[in-house]
Amino acid sequence: MIDSPRNPEAETAPAPWWAWCGTRELTATDRRNLRRFNFWALAWMAAWVAATFAVRFWGERLGPAAWLLAAVPILLGVAAIVSYWQFLRHADELLRLIQLEALALGFGSGAVFMVSYRLLERLGAPTLDTSDPLLVMVVAWAIGQWLAARRYMGGGRG
Amino acid sequence: MKNRLRVLRAERAWSQAEVAERLGVSRQTINAVETGRYDPSLPLAFGLARLFAHPIEEIFDPDGAGPRAEDPAG
Repeated sequence: MIDSPRNPEAETAPAPWWAWCGTRELTATDRRNLRRFNFWALAWMAAWVAATFAVRFWGERLGPAAWLLAAVPILLGVAAIVSYWQFLRHADELLRLIQLEALALGFGSGAVFMVSYRLLERLGAPTLDTSDPLLVMVVAWAIGQWLAARRYMGGGRG
Repeated sequence: MKNRLRVLRAERAWSQAEVAERLGVSRQTINAVETGRYDPSLPLAFGLARLFAHPIEEIFDPDGAGPRAEDPAG
């Protein structure tokens, strides 16, 4: 309980920046919402892989059902977005700030890359697939989380 | 923004985890506020004020001149 006297210095050290990669430092609400997001994100990815293979190999045989099959990962993707949205809305305020800064870096990097690379392509750079900026966004998002967590969590120093 | 959280917490022998649990935030949030790395939201600042039974301005020093209660000049 809060009224029981305990050593206040026992748990004062900031966790290292990577502590939030796990769930130990999360609140119970964040843990639950993150689990929910992870579930939908994994379901989306699995459905996308399955639908891609099915459409590629049996697309003609499936006929109109292929459209339904392609709609499944879209619906699961929307569920993943909604669950991430809910996670963010109810997240611990420091975690929300870290995510906001990471999203800004991820989205901004993806947008700049997408627009700028067209120019580089004209100069002779290899042509990229339209989904490649997604990789830039995800990597920049991860880097953004690392940078923001280091900034607010102090890199493990006391 | 400087604050007196560490002192107030020590007076009551509360851990950061206990304060965090009481306010529904993570321990890292309390730690970041305490060390001045992060300025809390208004609801969290009010929550801290209520928890420690002190007005907000006695806990937080927006001028960053240092903890008011520890200033012998008053």
